[in-house]
Amino acid sequence: MLESIQRAGRLIFRLPQTGLDWSFGNALNPLRHLGALTIFFLWIVLVSGIWLFIFFRTSVNGAYESVEYLTHDQWYLGGVMRSLHRYASDAAIVTLVFHVLKEFVYDRYRNARWFSWTTGVPLLWMIIPLGITGYWLVWDQLALYVALTTSELIDALPIFTESMARNFLSVSSLSNRFFTLMAFVHLIGLPIFLVFGIWLHVFRINRPKINPPRALMAGALLSMLALSMVYPALSQGKADPSAVPANLALDWYYLLVYPLMKSWSPGMVWLLLTGFSLLLCLAPWLPPARPPAVARVNLDNCNGCERCVEDCPFGAVEMKPRSDGKKYASEAVVNDSLCLSCGICVGACPTATPFREKSSLVPGIDLPDQSTADLREHVTRAASALRGDRRLLVFGCEGSRGLARLENTETAVISMTCMAQLPPSFVDFILSRGLADGVVLAGCANGDCQYRLGERWTLQRLNRTRDPRLRKRVDNEKIALLWSEPWSDYGGPKAAVAAFRNGLNKTRPASATSAVPKPGRPAAVVLAWGLFAAASVVFTFWPRYSQLQAGHAIISVSFSHAGKRLQECHRLSQQELQKLPPNMRKPTDCPRERHPVSVVFRADNKPVFTITVPPSGFWKDGESNIYQRIELPAGPHRLFIGMGDTGKAGEFDYESQDDVSLSAGQHLVIGFDPMTRTFVFK
Amino acid sequence: MPLLQWKADYSVGNPAIDHEHAEMIGQINRLYAQLDDPLDALQVVSVLGEIHADIAAHFALEERLMRTAHYAEYAQHKEDHEDLLDQVRDLMDVFSDDPQAGRKMLQQRLSDWFGRHFSTYDARLHKCLPEG
Repeated sequence: MLESIQRAGRLIFRLPQTGLDWSFGNALNPLRHLGALTIFFLWIVLVSGIWLFIFFRTSVNGAYESVEYLTHDQWYLGGVMRSLHRYASDAAIVTLVFHVLKEFVYDRYRNARWFSWTTGVPLLWMIIPLGITGYWLVWDQLALYVALTTSELIDALPIFTESMARNFLSVSSLSNRFFTLMAFVHLIGLPIFLVFGIWLHVFRINRPKINPPRALMAGALLSMLALSMVYPALSQGKADPSAVPANLALDWYYLLVYPLMKSWSPGMVWLLLTGFSLLLCLAPWLPPARPPAVARVNLDNCNGCERCVEDCPFGAVEMKPRSDGKKYASEAVVNDSLCLSCGICVGACPTATPFREKSSLVPGIDLPDQSTADLREHVTRAASALRGDRRLLVFGCEGSRGLARLENTETAVISMTCMAQLPPSFVDFILSRGLADGVVLAGCANGDCQYRLGERWTLQRLNRTRDPRLRKRVDNEKIALLWSEPWSDYGGPKAAVAAFRNGLNKTRPASATSAVPKPGRPAAVVLAWGLFAAASVVFTFWPRYSQLQAGHAIISVSFSHAGKRLQECHRLSQQELQKLPPNMRKPTDCPRERHPVSVVFRADNKPVFTITVPPSGFWKDGESNIYQRIELPAGPHRLFIGMGDTGKAGEFDYESQDDVSLSAGQHLVIGFDPMTRTFVFK
Repeated sequence: MPLLQWKADYSVGNPAIDHEHAEMIGQINRLYAQLDDPLDALQVVSVLGEIHADIAAHFALEERLMRTAHYAEYAQHKEDHEDLLDQVRDLMDVFSDDPQAGRKMLQQRLSDWFGRHFSTYDARLHKCLPEG
């Protein structure tokens, strides 16, 4: 089931992957740098955010005005920075979502990779609130919607006794300090956790790709700049608690679940959010993957040269003090919980050479299930069956596809986990012993190695820039390195292998041997960035969201009121006092628990809602918080509200009736004045 | 008389490296001594294969120590290592084609290489590596 989802996902991914390979060239394909691109967009957000903060005023009236100043008066810089700030945040979500999807469909999140996957989930819980608080700070109509909805969500948690949402029902209840708090959360609080979270996310990876290639950075920045010029980010009118805009341009990337609050209870929304996050966190074990046998060190052949440590993409090999009494200072030790059994360490080990024919060919580090000795055995057996004068040995990795079709009397295919599992000396062995006339290494796509660095190390070893180097004596024209992208510039493995084979006997072989990424096609690159910019912006205003039916108004019933105590205070008798320890004797005993408060609301003599709210606090001795939002059609209405605080069913201790005329989009707040003990309509 | 001779001033001061140097010289001398008997060329090649792996591992360790010590002449030293590894590989092929030519090559080029490398490159390395 999981596998078929992943297979289907990979199939879908292949289309943009191939298109972007064609446009950008393999190495610069943005789909191979999604995580790094996300971080780069966050850099843009950080830098533009610093500029915005210089001019931002943290006050109820100043917030909106200062953003307007930046947008309109300082459009050439502040306006551009604001747009960059917003659009780069949206672009970060786009790349982030594709990053998660890609790691999922390529199954790069289970076994030892669980750590990076699971530590990625809290990053979502930092980035999304960053966006939400950002929208809040602008203090336009969207900000008000965000403020109210977020507060309603937070109010559903047992954190505050007072209702937080009530602060946003009128201007008078909002203080400048609130904006200071918000700015703190947005500028310092969340970003600190985010930086720490990203560090943790890549902590276990050897040489994590933190920055995308420069060309991609330039493309990302330019596309965001162009978008900022063409479609500057604007506010949606100053926040006005007395009115409810019928429809809003909602940033779906950040506020996707907010509209659910209209029809779902906050508890359900929390359930969805936490359930989804939990599911993501646990995904690496759903179902638990069977870990392959991890690499093993053979101390007789290990002198502690550290090459395996340098090449392991997952930091699974470390050096420890020598344990066998030999004269060496250290030895390699495999951390089983980090090893993915890719075999890249074996390819790096200087003792993993097939020329060791006198001993049993046990390298310093080896995979128990795919030993180097077995590999040599496999190679010699496969080679002995080949006929002709252009015999090829094709090595395929886990990520190569369609290689089985290549097999014939002239071609044998040998499967491995990763290309870099093959020590370069094997190529020398095969060619110098005449086991084959050419060697083909068919790996995952360039820059998209299933084991991160296998493709890079293979290329460097064959080009003699990384240890262990391919010996100079080997003719590189007899080696073809190709990436198994069926529609790539190489024309697919079959065509590439055929071209390579045809070149083998010529004095100047055809160049299927090149692994140099193609330069890409500029027009297609511009188009791709344009489409990306469009995708980053389109869901920030489309589809529009109407929080209110046309021709309707909203009534918020919002107040806190303490119910009467369940029992009256009573004087303790002498006898009762005697029973108490001396230090706890007091003349009266007042039970703290209060009655719940019930509220009935009717419009035009028809019941709209009846609720009973328990007192807050652990001892049930606090105020009951009443917060309800109702939609009514515009026009004249007779409104009735009644409240009981003594626990008597059907009886009101306070009640009020008013004839109001609601206009469309009006926001009427009904409160309760604790001094006069009357309801207030405003 | 053995082909290669270990001299006290070849020591680089690191016990692991000195130990491997001495072992390497011993291995090559043993092989050289056997060459006087009529030997199967393939046998020699397979012994050379083992020696090649040992030298490669030894160089890997020595290079790692040099990098850790930020040894200034690392690049040249490393190139000389690669040169020997290339030569030993060549020697293996020469042996399987023509054992006499192989013997001559071992006698001249390899002993040259060792003498030169120990007295120049490794001598300069003396005291530059950690001692334990």
